[in-house]
Amino acid sequence: MLKSTVALSIFLFATSVVQAVVLRDDRQLEVIIGKPPQRIVSLLPSLTETVCALGQCQKLVGVDRYSNWPESIAKLPRMGGGIDPSIESVVAAKPDLVLMAASARGAERFTALGLTVLSLEPRSHADVQRVIRTVAQALHVPTQESERLWRQIDAAIDTAAQSIPAQVKGQSVYFEVNRAPYGASESSFIGETLHRLGVRNILPASLGPFPKINPEFVVRAQPNIIMVGESSFSDMATRPGWGNMRAIREQRVCYFKSEESELLGRPGPRMAQAAGIIAKCLIDKSERSKAEPIDKAKVQP
Amino acid sequence: MTHYLTRRSPFVIALSLLAFCLFGIALGSASGTTGFESWFTALRDDTAWQIVWDIRLPRSVGACAAGALLGLAGALAQGLFRNPLADPYLLGSASGAALGVAVALALFGGNPFATELLVRMGLTGAAFVGAVLAVLLTLVLARGVHHNLRLLLAGVIVGVVLGALVSLITLMRPDVLQGMQGFLLGSTSFIGWTSCALMLGVLLVCVVLTFVLSRVLDALSLGEATALSLGVPLASVRVALICVLALATGTAVAQTGLVGFVGLAAPHLVRSLVKTKNNWIVLLSSLMGGVLMLVADLMARMLLSPQEMPVGVLTAVLGGGYLLWLMYRSQTTRASL
Amino acid sequence: MADVPQSNNQGVAVNLPKMAFSVRDLHVSLAGQEVLHGIDMSFVAGRWTSIVGPNGAGKSTLLKALAGLLPVTGRIFLFDHELMSMDRKRRAQQLSWLGQNESVSDDLRVWDLVMLGRMPHQDWLAAPSAHDHSVVKSALQATQAWDWRERSFSQLSGGERQRVLLGRAMAVQAKVMLMDEPLANLDPPHQVDWLEQVRCLTSQNTTVISVLHELGMALQADDVAVMQSGRVVHQGACSDAATHSAVEAVFDKRIAIHSLDGQWVALPKL
Repeated sequence: MLKSTVALSIFLFATSVVQAVVLRDDRQLEVIIGKPPQRIVSLLPSLTETVCALGQCQKLVGVDRYSNWPESIAKLPRMGGGIDPSIESVVAAKPDLVLMAASARGAERFTALGLTVLSLEPRSHADVQRVIRTVAQALHVPTQESERLWRQIDAAIDTAAQSIPAQVKGQSVYFEVNRAPYGASESSFIGETLHRLGVRNILPASLGPFPKINPEFVVRAQPNIIMVGESSFSDMATRPGWGNMRAIREQRVCYFKSEESELLGRPGPRMAQAAGIIAKCLIDKSERSKAEPIDKAKVQP
Repeated sequence: MTHYLTRRSPFVIALSLLAFCLFGIALGSASGTTGFESWFTALRDDTAWQIVWDIRLPRSVGACAAGALLGLAGALAQGLFRNPLADPYLLGSASGAALGVAVALALFGGNPFATELLVRMGLTGAAFVGAVLAVLLTLVLARGVHHNLRLLLAGVIVGVVLGALVSLITLMRPDVLQGMQGFLLGSTSFIGWTSCALMLGVLLVCVVLTFVLSRVLDALSLGEATALSLGVPLASVRVALICVLALATGTAVAQTGLVGFVGLAAPHLVRSLVKTKNNWIVLLSSLMGGVLMLVADLMARMLLSPQEMPVGVLTAVLGGGYLLWLMYRSQTTRASL
Repeated sequence: MADVPQSNNQGVAVNLPKMAFSVRDLHVSLAGQEVLHGIDMSFVAGRWTSIVGPNGAGKSTLLKALAGLLPVTGRIFLFDHELMSMDRKRRAQQLSWLGQNESVSDDLRVWDLVMLGRMPHQDWLAAPSAHDHSVVKSALQATQAWDWRERSFSQLSGGERQRVLLGRAMAVQAKVMLMDEPLANLDPPHQVDWLEQVRCLTSQNTTVISVLHELGMALQADDVAVMQSGRVVHQGACSDAATHSAVEAVFDKRIAIHSLDGQWVALPKL
């Protein structure tokens, strides 16, 4: 009797210990999550999307004001922004897990008030895979699920890359993030997506992820395609010296609406969709001149 | 040393500053992502010519003109308010311009009427209107120009309140903050020939007006009561000079964004070189502001090529550094007496 | 003395002295408080009047009102013209003002500073004329500042600065000079210089009205106006006994006025 009781206790203890997950988050702190969280607050849009992509959307009880996907979270209470979360509303929601960015404020406050905080901030393609895995672990979702999700995303990006015809690959692209002008270089998230789609970025990684570039540099580099990440004041042609750029003359400029450009810069489970948007732009606006002689040859008897 | 100082001719200083400006513009047209190379290839290569003529030259001329406007405004502000710490932004024009840009970015794409109006005005127009309206608001709050202290306080209030409004807008619409980044730190990135022509035109008008009205600044330096007793039409000239201040500051800020320190440092630098009446001080401050801005712009473009630094950072470092050196030097000479 | 021939009731020609200032029922309020209560007084042209009184009596305020620098209720006449409705430039040509503790914010050359005094006589954009130059030169010589006319103002000592400011006030060559504490920072020899200057000015028919807290100097004037709590208690010739008792009374009889070497001195009453 005693032996079975002891065995049972050891078994229960062991399973409960096994059930507790220990994770290292982006603050390099160890976070122990005992039971699968039932009430989750997410204060970063990419983390909200990750939770929903893993099928745990119903456990969300609060999100930040910038989370906007999927539709099902539209009715959830908003708890401030990433930088300025509303401590009161988060605590009032009694979450057993708070997901927030590493650069957000309030993590110490939440921890001091007894909440479990997991700080994750995906910034690159590799980060997305890691964050999906970490969030799945935190939510006690089986590893196969998270790996399947990642493979889905990866495959979708490959598909987008393959949809681009060969002559488009290797063209040079200038991606403008805002009008200062700040550009996205090879080492930024958008730059990585462009790289996977097989196009060249005129801004090398050595300049940092988002360099404030001299407009002269862009004119000299003569990119084949220009992508503008913000739709306001599309006055590129009026910039001194830019009116004569091939890409502007031949209208090979993609203007992304604000929802699209938001998506392009969000390292999360929808990055395949983002890649698809960029691929569509590349196909639409690439140089056709190489294709024409072949067509003419076909037409002429 | 001091006798030598007073005997330096302001005319000679003006000529040398002008020469510096021209040299700086020439240097600016030769520097950038390719260095001096573009100059020599410019005549043969279309792109190089475009880079020198369409991009670099108007940027350098524009930087000089914007700096000149700010230097002039700084000298005006310091003379009007009899305060060596006054700068062109003290009547709220900086916050007003920022608010103009923020509102324009926020409204764009929403209301079709507003959008059409904004496209025609451009962000530069929005910044200019914002700056001028902020100064008018300050004048209204201070209920006229009769009390310097009231004007200064009203200016501080307007600056702080409008700045808070800008923060509010950027909080609700983070994409607006992105668009404003370049504006808030100052840059000459997209100055073309039309912007240059506009700035030079406004500069001419402001210099002429200030030169004509500069006697009032001299009289004002003796104190308000004495200036009044000398028969100076103080109130109306004050209003006129504040309008010139708003015009000059608004034009410069609209084209290059918020560049600090030029307006504050230029008059001090001039006074360290020569002691003369306000008519020359204003003209020389203008030229000195142009030189300061040119040097800052050159360094902003060259230090991290092909990346650019914000011009405002460099004007602060240059202007502030020189003032610090002046302060230190005058301290040691006084200590040795 | 510039007299205007008048006739009295019996039709006999009488010479009445010309009035530089006539003040009728003057009320002045500062920051909501009434500081001057119904002042009625006149200042004869070509004489030196000094205004004395305890602190807070309103002496500087009266002087400022006479200069047209404050909004007033009541009427002030400058040589029979309404002060407030005078053309600004004409008023500036006839009135010269030297204020108390007015800091100079710019760093001007002494010469340029005194030249500013010629502003009421100069056209807006005109360069200084030869006459302007000679006036500035004599003003600088009168205040012994001629030798450092090229120096900048900030390099001068307190007394030297005061002399330059005096020179500036004299360069206006106005018919009336209003001076508030003109002896600040001046050492005794230069105080005597100032005294001689004022005597010279009045001999040329300039009216001088000064506020002085040095009673000894104040009692050198032709006339004394005694003020207390925003009212003029007495106005009369300096040599009058009535004036002396008024001055002693307004200072709570803590001083006594004596004659010494033909001049009046105020000594403390211990």
